[in-house]
This record gives sequence, C-alpha cells and structure tokens, in this order.
Amino acid sequence: MNKQTFDIAVIGGGVIGTAVAYYAAKAGRSVVLLEKDHIAAGTSGACDGFIIMQSKNPGPHLELAMESAALYRDLVAELDYDIEYQPKGGMIIIENDTQAALMQSHVAKQAASGLKVDILPIDEARRRELALAPDLWGATYCAADAQVNPVRLAQGFSRAARRHGADLRPGTAVTGLIADRGRVCGVTTAAGDIYCQYVVAAAGIWTPGLVRPLGLDLPIKPRRGQILVTEPLPPTIRHVLLCACYLVAKYRPQDLDPIERHNRLGVGLAVEQTADGGLLIGSTREFAGFDRATTLAGLEAVAAHARRLLPALASVNIIRSFAGLRPYTPDGLPVIGPAADIPGLIIAAGHEGDGIALSPVTGRRIADLLK
Amino acid sequence: MTNNYDIVIAGAGPAGLAAAVEAARRGARTLVVDENTKPGGQLFKQIHKFFGSHEHKAGVRGFAIGEKLLAEAAELGVEVWLNSVVWGLFANKVAVVRGGEQITLAAKKIILATGASENAVAFPGAALPGVMGAGAIQTMINVHRVLPGKRVVMLGSGNVGLIVAYQLLQAGAEVVALVEAASAIGGYGVHAAKIRRAGVPILVGTTIARAFGRGQVEGVVLAKLDESFQPVPGGETTLAIDTVGIAVGLTPLTELAWMAGCQFVFSPRLGGHVPLHDADMETTLSGVYVAGDITGVEEASTAMEEGRLAGIAAAAALGYGAAAAEADKAAVRSRMDVLRSGPFGLGRRTAKAEILAQRKEAASCRE
Ligand SMILES: Cc1cc2nc3c(=O)[nH]c(=O)nc-3n(C[C@H](O)[C@H](O)[C@H](O)COP(=O)(O)OP(=O)(O)OC[C@H]3O[C@@H](n4cnc5c(N)ncnc54)[C@H](O)[C@@H]3O)c2cc1C
Ligand SMILES: Cc1cc2nc3c(=O)[nH]c(=O)nc-3n(C[C@H](O)[C@H](O)[C@H](O)COP(=O)(O)OP(=O)(O)OC[C@H]3O[C@@H](n4cnc5c(N)ncnc54)[C@H](O)[C@@H]3O)c2cc1C
Repeated sequence: MNKQTFDIAVIGGGVIGTAVAYYAAKAGRSVVLLEKDHIAAGTSGACDGFIIMQSKNPGPHLELAMESAALYRDLVAELDYDIEYQPKGGMIIIENDTQAALMQSHVAKQAASGLKVDILPIDEARRRELALAPDLWGATYCAADAQVNPVRLAQGFSRAARRHGADLRPGTAVTGLIADRGRVCGVTTAAGDIYCQYVVAAAGIWTPGLVRPLGLDLPIKPRRGQILVTEPLPPTIRHVLLCACYLVAKYRPQDLDPIERHNRLGVGLAVEQTADGGLLIGSTREFAGFDRATTLAGLEAVAAHARRLLPALASVNIIRSFAGLRPYTPDGLPVIGPAADIPGLIIAAGHEGDGIALSPVTGRRIADLLK
Repeated sequence: MTNNYDIVIAGAGPAGLAAAVEAARRGARTLVVDENTKPGGQLFKQIHKFFGSHEHKAGVRGFAIGEKLLAEAAELGVEVWLNSVVWGLFANKVAVVRGGEQITLAAKKIILATGASENAVAFPGAALPGVMGAGAIQTMINVHRVLPGKRVVMLGSGNVGLIVAYQLLQAGAEVVALVEAASAIGGYGVHAAKIRRAGVPILVGTTIARAFGRGQVEGVVLAKLDESFQPVPGGETTLAIDTVGIAVGLTPLTELAWMAGCQFVFSPRLGGHVPLHDADMETTLSGVYVAGDITGVEEASTAMEEGRLAGIAAAAALGYGAAAAEADKAAVRSRMDVLRSGPFGLGRRTAKAEILAQRKEAASCRE
C-alpha cells in the first residue's frame, strides 16, 4: 500500500471535525477527514440547533460563544450551502421568583461580559412569544441568539472543506494512533495507515477511547438528551426557547430536588421550530452510558414540562423521538488544544450541549494553532 | 384493573387476531390493540372471495373470515382495545394512547402485527384531491359505502389494483383504464380476466405521466413506456377522469420494531426492510415476535398462519400449551409451505427462507 501523507488528519465527521477540516483546508493545509460512519452520524445528527449565547457561563465559555456567533455571520455566505441559519433571538423562560433571582444575577454578569440580555415580565414575553403560559413569571430575551440546522451545518462544512481540497473519507474508522518516539504521526485504518504532522481527535464522546492507549485520560462522558419531534406546523414558536431550570440542570444538577422524576432526568426545556415547520422539543440530561435509546419516562417528562410552559403544544402530534449523547466534561468547558505531553496530538472534543454553537470557533482556533 | 398482560399484540388484522386466538386458547392473558374503530385490519374491506387453496378458505370472502376470527377471539376471552394506538415499545413496556389517554402496559411477550402501508408514486398532479390509494378507495366503497368518483384510472395491476378495480365496477363506477408500467400483468389471471370481461382495458407498458385539474383531478396524461421504462415519444394519451387509484405495492409497517431495536434486513421481494425472525416468528429481541405483512407483504392467509405460529410460540415460552407446542407449530409450518408454493408463492418462500437463514447467522454472531 502506498504511503498516504497529509498535514492534518481529523478524526470524526461531526460539526467539530468538519469545522476543523474546513478552516484548516481553507488556510491551505492538506487535510484528510476520517469518519467511521457518515457525516453527522454521531451527536451532531441527534441534537438541537441552538446558537445560544444566553445559556453560556460568563467567562471563557461565553467569550468562545460570542466569537463563534460572529463567525456564523460570515459562514452563511462562505459555505455557499443553506445551513438554515436563522438569527431569530432567544428566550429563557422564568417560572417563579426563585428563578427570576437566579436569572437576574446571570444577566448582570452577562452584561459585564458585553452580552445584552433583557428581562421581560410575562405580558411582554407573551406579546413576543404567543405560546407561553400566562401564569409564568416572564422570560429573558437576547437578540444575539440564533438557530441552525446541525446536519446541514456539518454537510456545509464538509462540502466547503472538499472545495478547499480536503479529502473526506466517510466509512473509514480510525483503529489506532501511530506514535514515533512519543510523537503522534498518523492513524491506522482498515484501508491503510495515514501519516500526518498533526492528528486532530474530534470524535465527540468516542474521543477518550481513541487517546487512552497513549495514556491520556480525558474526562469526557456521554450525557443523554431525549427529544420529541412534532409534525410540521405553521409558525408557532418564534424564538429558540430554553427555561431557567435548563441552566440549573446543565450546570448545577446537584441543586435539584432528586425526588422529582423531572429533576432526576435533568429535564430542561429546549424548543425550536425547524425550517420545515416541525418542532424539536427537548430534553433530558442523563448519564446512561453509550445507550442512545429513548425511554418512556424521559419522553413523558419532556412532554409534561413542555406542556406546562407552552400549553398550546398539548394538541400537536408527535411524529417521532430520538436521543443524542452530549460529550460532557465535569467543568462544562470543551477540551480544545494540544494534548499535554503528546506532541502531534490535538484534542477538539467535549462540547456537551454547546457543540453546534461552538463549532466555528473551535475549527477556527485549531486551524490557527496549526498554521 | 391491572395493565399486566402475558401477551400484548399490536394490530387486530388477520395476523394479530390469529395470534390472539392461539395464545388465549392455551391460557395466556392476551390483549390486542388496534387503532381503528373496527377490528379485522384489511379483512373487512375484502368483500371478494379469497384466492389460495381451499384449506385456506379460498372462495370465502375476507370479511367472513374476519367475523369468524373475531367470534373465536371473543369466546376465548381475548381483550381487544380499539381506537388505541401503540406508539412505543420500551423494553417490556408497551405505550398506548387510548381515548386520548396515555397508558403503559407491562407485557411478558409482545407480538407486532401492524400490517403494511400503501406505497405512493410521484408524478405532477399526484397531490390533487381525487388521487388516492387503492386501499383508501376500498375502505370508502366497502366499509363506508361511499363512491369516491365516477370515472377512475387505476395505476398498478397487482392483485390489489385488479380487485379494487373490480369492486369499483361493482359499486357503480366506470373504470376507464387500468395502467401498468411493466410489460405484463402483476396479479392473478382470474382477477385480470374478470375486469377484462367487464370491458376495462388493461394497458401494460404504460404509466401516468401527470394528472391535471383545478382544485380536483380532472384528467390524466398516460405515457407509453419502452423496455427500460422510458417514455416513448409521441406515446401520450389524455383521459378525462375524476379519480386516480394508486396500487403500486405495500411497505411493511415496521416503525415499532425499529424503535424496539430489532435487527432488520432489506428484502425487495417482501416490500422493503423487514425485521429478522426465526422459525417461531421471534425477532432478534427476546420476547418480541412479528407476524403478517410486517414481516414482508404477503396475503391474509399467510398472515394468519404466521400469527398462529407467533401465538403458539409466545404462549409456549410462558409455559402455556408447551407440551404440544412443537407439534402444533409443525402443523402450521407445513400449511404455510403449501401457501408459499406455486409460481406466485415460490419467490416469497425463497425470500422467507433467506430471512430465517440470516436470523441464524445474526444469532451466532452474538454468541
Ligand atoms: C439532545 C441534544 C441537544 C443538543 N442541542 C444543542 C444545541 O441546541 N446547541 C448546541 O450548540 N449544541 C447542542 N448539543 C450538543 C452538540 O450536539 C454536540 O456538542 C456536538 O454535536 C458534538 O459534536 P462532535 O463533532 O464533537 O461530536 P459528534 O457529532 O458525535 O462527532 C464525532 C464523530 O466521530 C466519529 N467517530 C467516532 N469514533 C471514530 C473513529 N474511531 N474513527 C472515525 N470516526 C469516529 C463518530 O461517528 C461521529 O460522527 C446537543 C446535544 C444533544 C444530545
Ligand atoms: C385490496 C386488497 C386485497 C387483498 N386480497 C387478498 C386475498 O384475496 N387473499 C389474501 O390472502 N390476502 C389478500 N390481501 C392481503 C391481506 O389483506 C393482507 O396480507 C393481510 O391483511 C395482512 O394481515 P396483517 O394482520 O398482517 O395486517 P393488517 O390486516 O393490515 O392489520 C394490521 C392492523 O394493525 C393496525 N395497526 C398498525 N399499526 C398499529 C399501531 N401502532 N397501533 C395499533 N394498531 C396498529 C392497522 O390499523 C391494522 O388494523 C389483500 C390486500 C388488499 C389491500
């Protein structure tokens, strides 16, 4: 077999791997992307499409997100592919005084980081989002929040990467990393070995398994989210919607009362209306290993919560459901950059519930790093 | 009342009902769930005399077979929930919406007998009111007694297309033409002969190029096709009609089996992706059985035999009628072999044998 050599080998064809491939190829590097299945076969094909700033923790998390949001505005034109980007603004629904207090302090910190978020009483919130229940406290509103179709995003990145000369190889699983005197210099696949200057491990929840043989222990683990899909509807939900307990379930699950099933499953509302009219109604946050099955308890809890906050949804038809596995990290931040002590190996993984929002900035930063 | 059953069956068509009868006869607490207001699946639309062997009720009309099955089921104490949709399978839990209410059932064994759905074809105008599935036409005329139109073109010359065309004639409609893209008629000669005698032209090597009309179909343009199914230039004819029947095959309704996580195989002969099953109709998931059109589109007669097999096997696995089970199953299997013989049965028999072989392979991979 003839020797195949590239500047960069990217492992994983989710939004992160395809973004890395795109920005690196655009910067003139020779890139091969290896995906064991097909583009967006993993978590990026089983998630929502929020590009939401408001949900990020003020600090490095929010900074990354805001940098990404700026990149998105250019991407729409650059990719020359409809990624269904919609800058529709986002709301976080507030149910009661306790949540309102939490959100007020969150919003104050966001303002200090340069993100403008308004707090709306329920009447004003309902004027903007008709489907909200009248007995809620209100909602936050942020104009910088947007939405994208994650599968089309991964497709858009990969097509554009190919136009810039990247070699895309779906159906090619990486079976091992090749190291020479401590430096990673390639990968093994059933179709032969591939040599490169840098390996970028962007395999989402599968990343720890790939790098463990080199002695690197990444604290990424799958955190399941279950989503209901409705029939296509006329315009019903105008913003991307979260609820305040989504933030608690995401960052401070220990604060939730574990007696309630709702909390045990980490239910936080996430609702968006996709370009074809269907609503995605999510979701749970559960540690269930690599099991991508939906559960009756999970779907029931998601539906009940959505119905309480958005009573109009009680009468819509659900046509299917699915679950995806978020690449969770204990500190809520992704792992982006060179692996300590293993030259040649770059990690881009662990984006939990923010990988769609953070894919451009991740791809861009990795490409800059490898210039 | 508890929602615990030995066996829960999704679908009260011939397969589901036959399974229920066998399971209940052996002593299993059995529930059948069907989304319709009436049980019987496709059977109650079928006012024609059945084809197949005499042993298999050839000459008996479909609805009569259905009534007999229902009477048996009632006598044996089978519970039947109508207007109830099975929407999910989660391990051994069956999620049902009944009268707008969500109910969770615990089932020791589950039999999926959900049947098949009609295929659609796309041509310009296919979404116009008046273009409909042959099954829909059959339900309208034979169940609801409503004539969907006066001048009809039927697309597809399989048994469904032929039978529904004939039933339209009986109901007082004019069948202007029966159109078939292939170069030969797909269904049984007896059915084709009946509609020919009634003066309906059967146009082989022809398809519907487009339908047209304002707010409702008013006509179709037919196109002659060559051997590679390409339109022959100048081979277009226009017919003024008000209804188009589409009878271009069925696809197994397999969503629940996918959801449960059953392994599938693609079988064009059986209508698409079908769940792998063994000689007892058990899928790759222990305790989940399949029977009837969901395992591959065939006939009511084979659907009933598969249902019986699943019912006997599921009951025996729970200890009901276990002693006689092997002999009982062998009797069903030999009747099924007879059904799958002859020029029309052979293809299905081969396809079915492949499913069983692949199921064995799947089992050995797991060990
Ligand atoms: C329910 C849910 C809702 C979400 N909603 C949002 C949201 O609204 N906004 C947001 O920003 N984020 C959201 N996320 C998070 C987001 O989906 C993820 O962070 C993101 O998809 C991760 O992308 P990835 O490329 O790292 O992983 P993946 O998409 O999983 O890609 C990894 C790829 O690597 C491949 N692979 C694995 N092993 C190998 C191997 N050995 N060789 C070759 N290829 C391999 C896999 O097949 C896979 O395609 C959500 C997630 C879930 C589960
Ligand atoms: C026009 C026509 C003529 C035919 N003529 C003959 C003939 O002459 N001889 C012959 O042997 N065969 C004939 N057949 C074929 C025969 O009707 C089918 O093969 C047979 O009905 C299949 O039986 P089944 O029980 O698998 O499915 P079905 O009869 O389709 O029953 C399945 C039932 O399950 C219900 N169901 C599906 N999903 C769910 C769910 N999730 N929850 C609750 N309920 C659900 C469906 O509504 C349906 O009532 C004919 C078919 C047609 C369409």
